Amino acid sequence: MSHSPADCATCPAHSLPNLVKLGVDMENWDYVVALAGNPNTGKSTVFNALTGLRQHTGNWPGKTVARAEGGFSIGEARYKLVDLPGTYSLLSTSVDEEIARDFILFGKPDVTVVVVDATRLERNLNLVLQVLEITDRAVVCLNLMDEAKRKGLEIDHRRLARDLGVPVVPTSARSGEGLDELNRVIAEVASGQLKSKPLRVGSQSSSLKRAVRQLTVEVEKAYPGLPNAQWVALRLLDGDERIAEAFRNGELGELQEPHLLSEGAADSSSLAASFPDTERPDTEDIFALAASLRWQVGKDFHQELMELIYTEAARLADRAVHRTGEKPRFDLDRTIDRLVTSRLLGFPLMLALLTLVFWITIAGANVPSRMLATLFLDTIHPALKTAAAAIGMPWWLDGLLIDGMYLATAWVVSVMLPPMAIFFPLFTLLEDFGYLPRVAFNLDRTFKRVGAHGKQALTMAMGWGCNAAAIVSTRIIDSPRERLIAIITNNFALCNGRWPTQILIASIFIGGLAPAYLAGLISALAVVAVAVLGVVFTFATSWLLSRTVLRGEVSTFNLELPPYRPPRFWTTVYTSIIDRTLVVLWRAVIFALPAGAVIWLLSNIQISGVSLAQHIIGAIEPFGLLVGLSGIILLAYIIAIPANEIVIPTILMLTVLVTGMEGVGGGTGVMFELDSLEATSQLLQAGGFTLLMAVNLMLFSLVHNPCSTTIYTIYRETRSAKWTTISALLPLGMGFVLCFVVTQIWRIVAGT
Amino acid sequence: MINPYLALLWVIGLTLTAIYLLRPDRGLLWRLLRASKATERVLVEDALKHLFDCEYRQQVGTLQSLSGVLTISGNRAAELLESLEEQGLISSGEGGYLLTSEGRRHALQVIRIHRLWERYFSDETGLEPRAWHQEAELREHTTTPAEAEALAAKMGNPPFDPHGDPIPTASGEMPPPQGSPLTELPVGELAEIVHIEDEPEAVYAQLLAEGLHPGMRVRVNESTPRRIRFEANAEEIVLAPVLAANLSVAPLPEEVEMPGPFERLSELPLGRQARVVAIAPTLRAPERRRMLDLGLVPGTVVEAELRSPSGDPTGYRIRGAVIALRQDQADQIQIERLEASAAS
Repeated sequence: MSHSPADCATCPAHSLPNLVKLGVDMENWDYVVALAGNPNTGKSTVFNALTGLRQHTGNWPGKTVARAEGGFSIGEARYKLVDLPGTYSLLSTSVDEEIARDFILFGKPDVTVVVVDATRLERNLNLVLQVLEITDRAVVCLNLMDEAKRKGLEIDHRRLARDLGVPVVPTSARSGEGLDELNRVIAEVASGQLKSKPLRVGSQSSSLKRAVRQLTVEVEKAYPGLPNAQWVALRLLDGDERIAEAFRNGELGELQEPHLLSEGAADSSSLAASFPDTERPDTEDIFALAASLRWQVGKDFHQELMELIYTEAARLADRAVHRTGEKPRFDLDRTIDRLVTSRLLGFPLMLALLTLVFWITIAGANVPSRMLATLFLDTIHPALKTAAAAIGMPWWLDGLLIDGMYLATAWVVSVMLPPMAIFFPLFTLLEDFGYLPRVAFNLDRTFKRVGAHGKQALTMAMGWGCNAAAIVSTRIIDSPRERLIAIITNNFALCNGRWPTQILIASIFIGGLAPAYLAGLISALAVVAVAVLGVVFTFATSWLLSRTVLRGEVSTFNLELPPYRPPRFWTTVYTSIIDRTLVVLWRAVIFALPAGAVIWLLSNIQISGVSLAQHIIGAIEPFGLLVGLSGIILLAYIIAIPANEIVIPTILMLTVLVTGMEGVGGGTGVMFELDSLEATSQLLQAGGFTLLMAVNLMLFSLVHNPCSTTIYTIYRETRSAKWTTISALLPLGMGFVLCFVVTQIWRIVAGT
Repeated sequence: MINPYLALLWVIGLTLTAIYLLRPDRGLLWRLLRASKATERVLVEDALKHLFDCEYRQQVGTLQSLSGVLTISGNRAAELLESLEEQGLISSGEGGYLLTSEGRRHALQVIRIHRLWERYFSDETGLEPRAWHQEAELREHTTTPAEAEALAAKMGNPPFDPHGDPIPTASGEMPPPQGSPLTELPVGELAEIVHIEDEPEAVYAQLLAEGLHPGMRVRVNESTPRRIRFEANAEEIVLAPVLAANLSVAPLPEEVEMPGPFERLSELPLGRQARVVAIAPTLRAPERRRMLDLGLVPGTVVEAELRSPSGDPTGYRIRGAVIALRQDQADQIQIERLEASAAS
């Protein structure tokens, strides 16, 4: 029997007051359609495809969750489409799931469309089955059919429709396919032309069955004609507060449907009369019954329920989905995997690849860095100075802006940009190819023993490029505890900005100790030793953290090994440069500008004839000597919080400042670098640099607070001041202790 | 220049002192903190809990039992009992002390909060099982009823705590006690573990280490004063009676059977396929959800495909995707091997 829109207002199945309460204005509309589905199923594409531009967004009443609604017409009828939050199920207690569940239950939309990802059917069917427990008027929109085809999946939607008992419409909303059919089916279900008999998931355990049946009978006595009495009983058994409330205050009464009553019942107007309040079975009795049944039903009732739904979803998916066309790729993948995770070749291959990546980065970045340095420092800098002089800028402004801010930023860019522009694309290519999860797979056991996750190997490797980017990459670890461990210990991975410091100091002071033909080798080994020490520290700190501060955090392990994919070379290079390189660079620049200003100011502002910098150096020198560093080094590190790249230039500049050397450098407060190792060595030693200081500098460079870009990124990612502080101060504290201990032992052994 | 030996000594000394003071749970600072929290309210509530426990098990609480459980002196216990009687929470009789209805209501509230917290730790945090009871002990005295209700609502009003004990409802209802100690179970009868006593902690830890948990089906094969030999979910376990007594079991109806021995997913050799039978109940809630999400539901066919060169984890093909599972996770998946010829 078909209805005309005018019947709607008087039909008890159309829940107008509830809809208004839920924020939906049905003034100009005939039918209301709810759009549900898992996240990432293309639900918004379907929404946009159906409504075009006729949509607006707002919020759900009383909540901070956004809502979109829109309208469309099919033939003469006007449909309002309400977009429900994307949810994986309706059983848990998140706000999104509450909203979705409440709308479908109390809003009683004329049609509920559930958007399903055809490539992940068993997962998505969970939600479908749960929706079908609440309402009959559902349509499954089987979306992303084009993706399914690409993956070699064939889906028998007719069989699925038969099994589910509701219409299933295959679509590719991206290209518009199937939408006409979807419209047609929506219209048929809304007008009542198409009636469905949805699948209701039965229960297996007999104690559960008995308890549910008992409770359902009582629910039906209290609210006869309720279309989903069994579902309500299950919810009461599960202790669902919202349903209990609706039960208590009579809200469920609005969901009764008179046509479901036995023949004896009269029309809608007498429904209320036939059950005056006094006759309604006492709701408290029913709650007591539910509570006592809950004890009997068993410890894992909720789990059992979930598992039933999951099992059923899997069964239906198995019946409907056929995998084809996978075999050739299959075999290639397997072969590569077997190679890459083999006992013989797995680790050597990993090491080789990593070394290759580093070698390309360091070797490849050399020339561009030098070119950029020449451009920014040797060409533009003097040009700016001349220009400033030409317009008559006061010396202090010129110094502050050009010698301070510009110079620091230029330094950071020229040192940071080339290696990052090489490292990130390489890394991202490996990622896209699918190799990186295999690395985590190979190394997980080692990480597990210190309470961390195999994927930390990847974030560590990323940290050797740039710590800030590595922090962002820790998103791949979804277990909260392991993620925090990865974040806090990431700084022990020597980032690109610290390599030059290590190499320079090692070459001068450590290589200088060895005979000339071995010098290069020795200094390289020294740097590698420091990097390895960083790995050792990572493991030790991870272990410590998981035993103390992070003990109670949730820890889950999951790792998927996706199929190998030929990487799209240019797209990857382009996106990795934009997403990673430029973003990090931009943040570094933001922090470098003020740093440059501070450097210049500290060096040039004088109090009683001596620059501020020297005052500070004098004040912190005793502490510096205690831990085996010098006041100059400490101040340089304070100034270099924004970027590790500028440590050496700052040290050189401060040395010149403090010793009052003439003829070196570019002036007071101007950072610089010298072209030859000898010259640098002489300068440093003239400033009182010792071998002990050199060793400590290398150690401190490894174990000190992260740069400000990294600290800022940590805050953005963890949204917690506590963890950000720990991440910043823990390595710093450890660094001081390390240098201190090394210094004391050195002095004991060397007898000074 | 500071004498390096002295400096080192100082630092080592400071570090050791810091560890002694600050070590989580065992450090001096923590212990002092906990002792300071042993205020009057804490003692009152713990006393009420103990008396309720006695009542539930149909025993009588005495001054000795109270001072033992609360680890306070006999005098302190006597003072406490006097104060409780004055407040109308207990009355003396039957050779010991009994709760009044007001006392019972109060006790149930505290027990509810305690068990809700244990459930929370079990389901929503990574805290190891041995720590649940202690942590709940700390929090039960400072959680307001409103906070407790919010906690219960967040977890969907769980009926039982992770030890198998019922959580009293907000209105103070509890089901009648079930179960008797395993030592009293007749040989050959099938029963279900309904409760594992969480104190003393060492005993609880040992029971957990044997893989025992509420809901397991057991059948005793041999019961002597020296040892109890029983099957639990088709694995044989031997315990001393003093340990076994901490397990409460309830007989099962006749039609229920002992589940047969099962194989674990971790035992599946590479290249072989199997069908999932069940996820072991010892796998806790967040991990369990994850397993379900992956599709490890009864009936799914999985294949062991790859093993890491370090031995762990193993990659399993599940519904078209290759998922890596650590051995301790794969241990919890019960499977049934498929014959090699059935695989294709």
